[in-house]
Amino acid sequence: MRRLLVLAGTLLLAFPAGAMAKGEFNPAHEWELKEWVPIHLGPLDLSINKAVAYILLSALVAMLIGLGLMRVKRGSGPTRKQALGEQVYEIAQMQIAEQGLPAKAIGRWFPYVATLFVFIWTVNMLGFVPLPLSDERFELFGIELPTLAIFAATSTLSVTLTLAVMTVVFTHVEGVRFNGPLRYFKSLIPEAPKPALVLIVPIEILSQLVRIVSLSVRLYANMLAGHMLILVMIGLVFVLESVALAVVSVPVAILFYLFEVVIVVSIQAFIFATLSAIYIGSAIEPKH
Amino acid sequence: MFPSLLAAEHTAIVDAAKAIAFALGVGLGSLGAGIGLGQIFGSMIQSVARQPELRGELQGIMWLAFALTEALVFYGLLGGLLAFVLV
Repeated sequence: MRRLLVLAGTLLLAFPAGAMAKGEFNPAHEWELKEWVPIHLGPLDLSINKAVAYILLSALVAMLIGLGLMRVKRGSGPTRKQALGEQVYEIAQMQIAEQGLPAKAIGRWFPYVATLFVFIWTVNMLGFVPLPLSDERFELFGIELPTLAIFAATSTLSVTLTLAVMTVVFTHVEGVRFNGPLRYFKSLIPEAPKPALVLIVPIEILSQLVRIVSLSVRLYANMLAGHMLILVMIGLVFVLESVALAVVSVPVAILFYLFEVVIVVSIQAFIFATLSAIYIGSAIEPKH
Repeated sequence: MFPSLLAAEHTAIVDAAKAIAFALGVGLGSLGAGIGLGQIFGSMIQSVARQPELRGELQGIMWLAFALTEALVFYGLLGGLLAFVLV
């Protein structure tokens, strides 16, 4: 059964959208977000596009994963589902939350980092499942259907930036709440001789801002590069217009696909959640 | 993907220079990250060979270091991409 699924997945990847075959192929076109349901509130653009649809779907799937794995019938012996659920919980508790958060803050912030972990994992994972959510159409028995395509919402910068800004804002809010504003901002300034502070303080402020960039760009660029590599590898067949090239480029694309699905998807979700826990934890209990 | 902000002349030589710069940037970036990743996995193998019972604890730290190092390539990639599309 599993082998069949893998085979079907690779076949779908090997034969991408037919629309690609005609005209020019540009991998960047995948990231053009067209408005599907335009919603404009003044200057705000809240339109539903491909990325938003993926986010909504992932939110639903993440909720179902949580509900499905964590609700277990009592009394009967542990099932495979329960074991999986406990494993996810254990990773979130031991590897993520306890790595960064101090004991007094775990109760409050464990839900946040565990949610981040499950949600980002779901978004990344759905990014590698071929879904009929794309702008290109093809006809099947006279009905227009969207083509199957892979696209991750986390490969758009606005999604990851929102998540990163959330974490950084929570960091400072929690730092102020647990330590009081004066003590918290004092703890941000390291102990150093007075003249050196002129240099150190701007660097410290900069490092706080760089956190937003590094947290968001890490996830964004990882997912973008993964999708881009797969797209370019398959797209080479169409750009150079030689089917013989498919013998080389499609296996390479499948290798990249497997690397992304097996390693990158989980690692990036894990890293984002762990770093959020570490940042929040270090604000709650400053070192000095 | 990105709007072209600074409209430079799109002569063949400019395009070629951009492609070379992009490839050089990403290539040199991955050189450093490659050395870093080699060191991380190398020390992981050594530590597990010396103390196999610590494997579980070390694995979490290893993956954290792996992702932090690997991300550096992507900063280079993104910088190159921005320069490639914007200029």
